[in-house]
Amino acid sequence: MSWKKETDEITERRQLARQQGGAEAIAKHHERGRLTVRERIDKLLDHQSFEEVGLAAGAASYDDGGKLRTFDPANFVLGFGKIDGRRVVVGGEDFTMRGGSPSPAGLRKSVYAEELAVQFKVPLIRLHEGSGGSVGGKGQTMPAPVNAPARFVSVAEAMATVPVATAALGAVAGLPAGRLVASHFSVMSKTTAQILTAGPAVVARAMGEQKTKEELGGWKVHTKNGTVDNGAEDEETCLKEIRRFLSFMPNNIYQLAPVIDSDDPVERAEEYLLNIVPNDRRKSFDMRQVIQAVCDQTSFFEIGAGYGRSQITGLARLNGQPVGVWANNCKFLAGAMTADGANKARRFMELCETFSLPIISLVDEPGFMIGSQAEKEATIRHGTSTVLTAAMTTVPWASVMVRRSFGVAQAAHYGPEGFVLAWPSAESGPLPVEGGVAVAFQREIAAAPDPEKRRLELEHELAAKQSPFPRAEAFGVHDLIDPRQTRLQLCLWVDRIQPLLPTLLGPSRFSIRP
Amino acid sequence: MIKIELETGGSVWKILKKSGDKVRAGDTLFILEVMKMEVPYESPADGTVESVYISEGETVEEDQLALEMSPQ
Repeated sequence: MSWKKETDEITERRQLARQQGGAEAIAKHHERGRLTVRERIDKLLDHQSFEEVGLAAGAASYDDGGKLRTFDPANFVLGFGKIDGRRVVVGGEDFTMRGGSPSPAGLRKSVYAEELAVQFKVPLIRLHEGSGGSVGGKGQTMPAPVNAPARFVSVAEAMATVPVATAALGAVAGLPAGRLVASHFSVMSKTTAQILTAGPAVVARAMGEQKTKEELGGWKVHTKNGTVDNGAEDEETCLKEIRRFLSFMPNNIYQLAPVIDSDDPVERAEEYLLNIVPNDRRKSFDMRQVIQAVCDQTSFFEIGAGYGRSQITGLARLNGQPVGVWANNCKFLAGAMTADGANKARRFMELCETFSLPIISLVDEPGFMIGSQAEKEATIRHGTSTVLTAAMTTVPWASVMVRRSFGVAQAAHYGPEGFVLAWPSAESGPLPVEGGVAVAFQREIAAAPDPEKRRLELEHELAAKQSPFPRAEAFGVHDLIDPRQTRLQLCLWVDRIQPLLPTLLGPSRFSIRP
Repeated sequence: MIKIELETGGSVWKILKKSGDKVRAGDTLFILEVMKMEVPYESPADGTVESVYISEGETVEEDQLALEMSPQ
């Protein structure tokens, strides 16, 4: 007597589970230019590191003799694996079965992903392609009991405990779409993915709107409105972006982000920083070049470039230490804080606070965006929310006044007890001279023989007063620096804050929500 | 054909290239004024300007097609 018969059946069931929706469904999936969930997991993880959980879950049918006749595996693949040698939890819908709409066992496995990540305190990666429940769904014998745990508690807990990175790799709708955005970093494939609260048929029925999936929820829509952080050319690039994002992150809120050896000298001083900010205040400059010059070479990983574009956010390293970088982009609406820019910056600060990442702020803030559109978007409320978020942070901040620093909005760029450096091009005050002079000296300008000439004179006089030298004399900044010394100064600061970082570990005063 | 679309609204301050002009990657094609800041739009590639759809002083909107050029 042995268990050979049973172990043979286990083997058979495992083989059946790995066949997913069958050769035909897989071929069709490939024809559409998409990878299967198992192929995605293999490409994401370190070679052969996948440790699957719940391969035996699914729906079986038996013949009269009790012998297995068919086995439909759960259509959510889940397990542990490694990325750059660090353990993670990974899961994703299997679109080759029921189009990714959850089977009962698939749903159980999918909602277990967060629980597993929180329990083992490792990053969670979800690779989404699927829809929510179906009114024609089979196999749902009865609804969940009233005392079942609330489904989204674990989703919220995961976001407060471990890094969560997600990818939209095909059409993602309903529950998977909600879980896609419940993440610290999300990316969608430009060639294969759409994200839909509801698909075209439901939209046509409810709203009378005839739109394709791409028109409703393609990358052009969702990288611009902030639904996802990044768009990538294809599925493989999405997976690479997730690996890159995780390289900056700790495993959980109880650990510090991994510091690596940097071969970029801290003394590297880029000459072009001396000229990058034009003397003519009307002329813009490329803040991303400043970031490249200051941070470890090629380390900057931008998050949300298509959304809230007046603000630049991303992760980078300074002498190997992961940091959050936030900067203004004066090439877009002069770098003003729009409602969506404010939300982007707030969410980014929350990410840094949750995972104890120091924040580097490169300031060129003209103030909140103004005008009728800005008023319609409730810019002042969203902007003030960002200001107060900065005020509540406990992570170390280093702010560099690169150029403008004006109005209420500027306060968002300086954390409590932050280290503040100013470039010679810095100018600061309640509001930029152009707008301020027009209001404060309205009568004087109007009464002048040559109003335009008088306006320019006043602007010139007041601009001189906004120079950083008087501010430095009053010890209003820690130091005035040569822009070329910014990298060195920030790397020295990173070294100084090392004793502070372990004291920040654990749950933060506030966490992050989508 | 390369389409240059506007990232933001604003007013057109200067147009530096006209239809038929040869341009090099990085050449400034036109400059918007947005929030009292000049925002230059540069050619993404070597090529020839085919059509310019904006004019100096015009108020323009986000996503508006400003210029088309053919790559070399």
